[in-house]
Amino acid sequence: MASVRRWVLIGLTACSVLALAYLPPRGVKSSGKSVFVGQSLQATRARQYAQALAEEWRNADAVVHLLEDRQRVKRDFSRASPTMVFRGATLPPNAVRNVETVMDSVWRGLGLGETKVRVTVVIELQRPGSVDTPTPLQDRVAYLTPDTTDRTTCMVSLPAGAYWTLFILGKRDARHEGFGRFAQWLQAGLGPCAFYAAYGTPGRPVRSWLAARNWDVGLYLGSHGIAGERFSSLDLMGNPGFSGFWDAVYSLPPATVACLAGRRRGCRAAVLAGAADEGAIPIPNVILVKRRWWRVQHLLPGERYLGDVARTVGRDRFLSFWTSGQPVDTALAAALKRSVGEWTADWERGFVRPIRLGPTPPLGATVIAVAIAVLVLTVVAATASRRQVR
Amino acid sequence: MRTAATVLLAIVALPALLLGQRWEQQVQGRLARAIDVMQTSSRLPVVKRSGMLNTDEGASFRTPLVQGTVYTIVAVCDDDCSRLQLTLLSPTGSDIAKERNSESLPILHFTAQATAVYGIRVVMEGCRWNPCWYAIAVVPLRKTPS
Repeated sequence: MASVRRWVLIGLTACSVLALAYLPPRGVKSSGKSVFVGQSLQATRARQYAQALAEEWRNADAVVHLLEDRQRVKRDFSRASPTMVFRGATLPPNAVRNVETVMDSVWRGLGLGETKVRVTVVIELQRPGSVDTPTPLQDRVAYLTPDTTDRTTCMVSLPAGAYWTLFILGKRDARHEGFGRFAQWLQAGLGPCAFYAAYGTPGRPVRSWLAARNWDVGLYLGSHGIAGERFSSLDLMGNPGFSGFWDAVYSLPPATVACLAGRRRGCRAAVLAGAADEGAIPIPNVILVKRRWWRVQHLLPGERYLGDVARTVGRDRFLSFWTSGQPVDTALAAALKRSVGEWTADWERGFVRPIRLGPTPPLGATVIAVAIAVLVLTVVAATASRRQVR
Repeated sequence: MRTAATVLLAIVALPALLLGQRWEQQVQGRLARAIDVMQTSSRLPVVKRSGMLNTDEGASFRTPLVQGTVYTIVAVCDDDCSRLQLTLLSPTGSDIAKERNSESLPILHFTAQATAVYGIRVVMEGCRWNPCWYAIAVVPLRKTPS
């Protein structure tokens, strides 16, 4: 009988190991392609080459325009809020004033007044494309951060797209679209430049850390969601009840997923990604934020992480972190007065209930498997008990 | 009437003109006060430089100093600056004197042994809101009796 019990235990252990190894992770269907990732059909090599070339051209074009604008644009010293410049169309004076008024209120809403680093926002109004050249940058926002050639200007290149172009030109009725959404769009567009304005140029360790991760934790200074009252990059992933959410979760780096599960070590790793690389900061330092920026975040909703840190610890402590010469983990923990992982895990819980990780067998399959296992074990036990040694 | 209008215009326009130049004006004011308290009797001009630096960044410039003249070199910085380092360099580039203990108001006294172009280097060692503005003055005080 003891021998049978041992075999039963070995059988159950083997089943558990196999289940851990082979069962699909939570939320993932065994077949079907990812809806979230949305893979496109494979293009020909010539087309891929043309697209890569156009991409390079767009990036270079954005950098050149930002550098030119930084030299050329005269700052408007009569206003504390950003200097507004429009490209692509000549705006009537009242349209310019309208946009400036909204920006002034956004600026005050962020608690900003006169700042050491001033911001210039270049709004790229949509214009018809040319057949000779690729369409200029319209699917990403570009930021030119201050450097040794100009320590007090942060430039934003903000493509308006068709929707906001019509709104700015007064061809779309404000009563239907609302200034609220326009203000939100402008505020989100300030991106890293809002941090430069509020807290100045970061110290070298922080600058290097943020450059290594393309500023994914410092894209939004506001206290509301980036695209609405409570709308963050987490909402862009969809509902946990749908498989698209899980596809998106498992396309994230492991530390990011661990942090979503409420694991402190995962949160720490997600926050400090890039902090160990003491990479050179390029001059000019241009940050390109693509339209689907949330797909490459190391932390969700990372865009508001540094803004929330600043609001929690207060200006003085945040500035001591921001300009510190110490490594990022040390400086951040000192500002938070807690370990980075612990604080971040609590912060994450404020947005999403910790997801459950690990294998999840479907109920039907589990019932069948257990029934088979019980049947087999019963047969084996019965056979073993009747066996006679002669 | 015209005077009143001018005064009114000045009152309205002044804050706008000052906007963005607060820190520059802060250091210029401090430098002017620092120079005022030094009793210069030399006819040589006071050399001034100003600019802005982030934490741990430095800037240098060169200035001629006249043999036998006593100079005071003073540097000031804005409210957000906590430590500024000031160094006087010989014509060959080696350190002659360094002041880093006076936090945001380093001062060096120097009598030039020879007429030559000397270097002055300033390093922003502490700035809690980057960049920090600084200003330097090389003030000739008097000629030493030969």
